[in-house]
Amino acid sequence: MAPPVAFPRPSAEASLPLSGVADRPLQSIVEDLLIELPARVWVALGVLILGLVLGYLTGIVVRRLLVRVGVPDAIEGTAFERTARSLGSSTVAIISKLAAYFIYGVAILATLSVVRVNVADRFWNEVAALLPQLFVAIFILILGIVFGDKIELVVAERLRAVKVPSIGILPTIAKYSIIYIATLIALSQVGVATLALVVLLAAYLAALIFLGGIAFRSMLASGAAGVYLLLNQPYGIGDEIRIGDRAGVVQEVELFVTRVEGEGTEYIVPNRAVFEQGVSKQR
Amino acid sequence: MATLSDLLDDIVDDVDGLFLFSPNASYYERFADVDTEVVVVSPENAVDAEHHVELPLEFENIKSRVRFGVEGALDQDLVGDGDEIACSIGTFGGDPDTLLRVRVAESMRSGVYDMFVNSRADPGVIRDVFDVAIELGKKGQKGKPVGALFVVGDAGKVMNKSRPLSYNPFEKSHVHVGDPIVNVMLKEFSRLDGAFVISDSGKIVSAYRYLEPSAEGVDIPKGLGARHMAGGAITRDTNATAIVLSESDGLVRAFKGGKMILEVDPEDY
Repeated sequence: MAPPVAFPRPSAEASLPLSGVADRPLQSIVEDLLIELPARVWVALGVLILGLVLGYLTGIVVRRLLVRVGVPDAIEGTAFERTARSLGSSTVAIISKLAAYFIYGVAILATLSVVRVNVADRFWNEVAALLPQLFVAIFILILGIVFGDKIELVVAERLRAVKVPSIGILPTIAKYSIIYIATLIALSQVGVATLALVVLLAAYLAALIFLGGIAFRSMLASGAAGVYLLLNQPYGIGDEIRIGDRAGVVQEVELFVTRVEGEGTEYIVPNRAVFEQGVSKQR
Repeated sequence: MATLSDLLDDIVDDVDGLFLFSPNASYYERFADVDTEVVVVSPENAVDAEHHVELPLEFENIKSRVRFGVEGALDQDLVGDGDEIACSIGTFGGDPDTLLRVRVAESMRSGVYDMFVNSRADPGVIRDVFDVAIELGKKGQKGKPVGALFVVGDAGKVMNKSRPLSYNPFEKSHVHVGDPIVNVMLKEFSRLDGAFVISDSGKIVSAYRYLEPSAEGVDIPKGLGARHMAGGAITRDTNATAIVLSESDGLVRAFKGGKMILEVDPEDY
């Protein structure tokens, strides 16, 4: 995209002296051209070419780097990657192209400033200021979408064993939470007022932590106790134990509960109770 | 004038139920609304059938497959004693190629269905242990035939009715049967003499156990060795299921309640 815009400029200027000196031999025309064109134009041309080469190289380096760190494997199967694939591209290609375009854009701006194009000077200044932010914003947005997709897949994978249809909402919630945060960062990067959205996010997080804390309070306590029980195994399967008024043979030690079989009754004791009431081992 | 389809008429005449073994969706659709009860017998209910019997093992033997299906249907009260049923089965590969007429009898209850579905341990765990035993029976340990004894379920009681022969290699580990790497471990440890104890949820509690049940009133066929006797006897004293791979004849046998309820040849799978 950059070459077609950039290259006609010097040639257009070159054609100006050409029209006046049509009858001179070719060699002297070239000599005149070299003399008449200001040095600035040559510098600008150099900057532009340097920028294009740099941009192209950056694209390649970024792509190699992403492949080397294993990004394509990590994002395999996410919705964004699949969409990119169906368009004949891939996330890695899009990101590396983005990086290349960023350099191209900078090169074009630098070229323009060197040849001192005065048309809408302030406009270009603002564009120059906004460009990096815009690229960072787009980059963050892509990152957010890909990461959100990935999280959705991971959570769905973890919950596959739980065969309750309504649990399918959890991966979606996780995905959109992450995309929401990414959008927020991207918008604030470009300078859009995001205060209302931040307040919304804070309220959402507070509700999530507060309600989650209430809902999973005893499970978290049992889980923490269960980690200790599984790691240190103060009692194992086959031991006769007593927890409070529940006594029997341990049949199973799980993360959240201990199954104790007494005379004709199987107690499912939350591991929390082991810590609150203690456990006595019968010998 | 008799035609060939009369042959089939004799088989499906006045049947009280139609058993489809592992039908595909379109095959099930075709017969879903015949005017008799349709029961699907398959590893999982992929066709959303109303009456479904879960098949935990792909029984190679048609007889045991039908028997398992009938047993499951009896257990769910889908058929009763004396009912005549038609069974559509694929003997060679997937597509149905065989039609059978079977008279349901209470005596068909062999306890195989009961062992899988109504055991203390999860059906999946019993199936996983079966898979390990069958694979071990097929290949042996490094090419040599080995024996193995797995006691599945009611691990607490089993541990109290047994003693360690040596250090327990699974001490303080949290490994579960069915994990491919764990199956390799089980095979490696099978050269140790002694029983594997596996909990209801599939956790391997111990290897190298010497079982000490009282062997009174254990009803197992004569000629089986000490391993089978120990396995059979422990299931009488506890609610466990014992799965035994014989070293001498290479068969896998399952015991529950002190009785042998299943005998399969690993080569058939």
